[in-house]
Amino acid sequence: MSTTPSSAKLRVLLIVEHHGDVFLLREMVNEEPHSRFVIGAEAGSLADATTRLASGGIDVVLLDLELADSHGLETFTAFRKTAPTLPVVVLSDVEDEELALQTVQLGAQEYLVKGRIVPHLLHRALRYAVERARADAQLAHERELLATLLENIPDRIYFKDRRSRFIRINRALTEFFGLASAEAAYGRTDGDFFDPAAAQQMLADERSIMETGQPILGKIESKTLTNGEVSWTLTTKLPLRDRAGLIIGTCGISREVTAFKTLEEQLATERHLLRALIDNLPDLVFLKDAEGRYLLDNPAHMRFLGASEFSEIDGRTPFDFFPDPIARVLHEEDMAIIRSGQPVYDHEQKVADISGHMRWLLTTKIPWLSEGRAVGLVSISRDISVQKLAELHLKQANADLKSRRQDLMAAVKDLQEAHQDLRATQLQLVDAEKMKSVGRLAAGVAHEVKNPLAIMKMGLEYLSTLPIEDETAPLILKEMSDALHRADTVIRGLLDFSAPKQLEVRRTSINVIVNQALRLVRGEMKRGCQVQRELQEDLPQLALDADKISQVFVNLFTNSIHAMGGGGTLFVRTYSKQLTGVGSNISDQRSESFRVGETIIVVEIDDTGPGIAEDKLAKVFEPFFTTKPTGQGTGLGLSVVKTIIDLHGGTIDLRNLPDAGLRVTIMFQA
Amino acid sequence: MKKQRIFIVDDEAGFTRLLKLTLEKTGNFQVQEENDGTNAWLEARAFKPDIIFLDIVMPKIDGGDVAQQIRSDPMLAHVPIIFLTAIVSRTETKHDIGGFPFLAKPVSLEAIKQCIAEHLGE
Repeated sequence: MSTTPSSAKLRVLLIVEHHGDVFLLREMVNEEPHSRFVIGAEAGSLADATTRLASGGIDVVLLDLELADSHGLETFTAFRKTAPTLPVVVLSDVEDEELALQTVQLGAQEYLVKGRIVPHLLHRALRYAVERARADAQLAHERELLATLLENIPDRIYFKDRRSRFIRINRALTEFFGLASAEAAYGRTDGDFFDPAAAQQMLADERSIMETGQPILGKIESKTLTNGEVSWTLTTKLPLRDRAGLIIGTCGISREVTAFKTLEEQLATERHLLRALIDNLPDLVFLKDAEGRYLLDNPAHMRFLGASEFSEIDGRTPFDFFPDPIARVLHEEDMAIIRSGQPVYDHEQKVADISGHMRWLLTTKIPWLSEGRAVGLVSISRDISVQKLAELHLKQANADLKSRRQDLMAAVKDLQEAHQDLRATQLQLVDAEKMKSVGRLAAGVAHEVKNPLAIMKMGLEYLSTLPIEDETAPLILKEMSDALHRADTVIRGLLDFSAPKQLEVRRTSINVIVNQALRLVRGEMKRGCQVQRELQEDLPQLALDADKISQVFVNLFTNSIHAMGGGGTLFVRTYSKQLTGVGSNISDQRSESFRVGETIIVVEIDDTGPGIAEDKLAKVFEPFFTTKPTGQGTGLGLSVVKTIIDLHGGTIDLRNLPDAGLRVTIMFQA
Repeated sequence: MKKQRIFIVDDEAGFTRLLKLTLEKTGNFQVQEENDGTNAWLEARAFKPDIIFLDIVMPKIDGGDVAQQIRSDPMLAHVPIIFLTAIVSRTETKHDIGGFPFLAKPVSLEAIKQCIAEHLGE
């Protein structure tokens, strides 16, 4: 629609066939004083008009329904197709007034009946047509805008009457209701689309609006749809008024916010989850602002600070919980991280808790950044005191284990030694068992032999009391008596050899025993034997069975004296020495009995006799072996000696001296 | 002078007979011999000896048991008992056997007389 400045005249297109009418109408338009109109163009047919309209510049049309190429109502409808918005005043004949009225209903602005037209009536009709067309266009535009808004806005819009029935809904709401057309909703209420509770609430809201005239702005509503889904909306509801301002219903606009709401709920859920996570962590978690004040604490850290609620901590600093020196360390550490913006990972530190207990913490501190600037820090600490303690215990246990291992090695060594001792004892026991058998044998022999000997002896005694005439008889009796004595001596030796081997040990000086034994063999030495003693004084005392050792020396001295015949010299030496090494001063046999470093006591008995043939030296300790002429030795003396020395853990060794004579060496462990 | 009464218990009859002969030949002793140890106690009661020589190893009864019987008899408790034994080594002879003195076989007449003198006096 063209706008015309008030100074310019509006141009009229005259579409009339009848010349008389054309003339008359031209005159009326043009000659009216102060006329705002002027004939801009004239057309005798619809075809002419169409052509003229195409060149524009027409503001209003006078249209006669009866034209050469068109008649009646048809003329108007055809014209409207050509110029849909141009203001039109229809001219009709008197008999066609009813027809003219129909054109107005179809969109003509005004009609005039030919023959009744007067100038001022014509002008008024033209003015009215122009104004009405302008208003119609404006209305159409407004309606178009509104329709665009209603049809395209995603928000749901409705209008309701006073009984809350829909009278108009937009496309969004139509689709929301799942309806094919908006009209399907008209006359229905919220109860037809929502759950009863929601519908009831909306009805109440609307009644309140209608009663008070107060709108409801930005209300969050939840509705359960018939399909079971929940819809969240942000709704504004207003009273709907007529032109007089009377409330005739309500209107409203709802924005679907289910997505936001869902998002918000997800966010809340995540927030709760995160919070639950933080609160249930055994780790100590806290958040500090840039000034080092606590903003967030989880229960583990609250306990560390000795607090039971966050309100006791909120906005405070370590200085409120720890003695100054400790608080300063904690505070400075955190502030350094905030200042530098550098995180610290897995830092192990020993910290006193609020009750003064030392605890080991493994801490990670991360600056809390906002727009590239540190505005605080997040700290997570794990209490590793238990692990630390375990680590400490492990170290201790390892050390213990090491020392136990050493103990064990020592015990094993002891055990090995004990085992060796046991083996030695076992061998001794085996020997003892052998000796028992020998003892039983000896006892049996003694009984069976000695009783006859006793009878023979008593017989000889008796015979020697009788007067005897034969001179040789006493000699014979003497020979018999000597033989009897010899037999008795052998049996006694056998009994001695097999006597129970039990020692009665006391700490005794070896020198005392040597001297004692020398006194006991004085009788034997009457033959002219010399004795030389070199007895070391201050020898340590030895655990010995004095009687048995004395028996040993008596045996050995007697042997030597006998070996030397009627003279010679018996050397007796005692001394102590320390074994310095195998092979240096002891034989292989002795090295089994003694160890290097031990102190031993030595008794040496040397004689000046003939010595013993080398091939017989090895056999001297065997029972019944003797070098003496028959009748002078039992062959048991050295066996007994060897047995006794063995029982004392000592050694005895016989060897020939380089020049002449025999050396007996006896060794005892000091 | 009253003869000293010697009771000798030994299963060796040859030995007891010779000992009896030898001792009685001196004229100072009256000797009774017993070769069965089981009879020793009752015979001792009957004989009433001044001293008893007792063999240890006998077939039916041990000399130690016989000594026990005699010692527990009030009539004989005071009578000295001397053991005679063959089974004794040289080192053991310096001790007594079960509290009783003893002599080792073969024993000399001198040793027996000395022993009697020690216990009963001349």
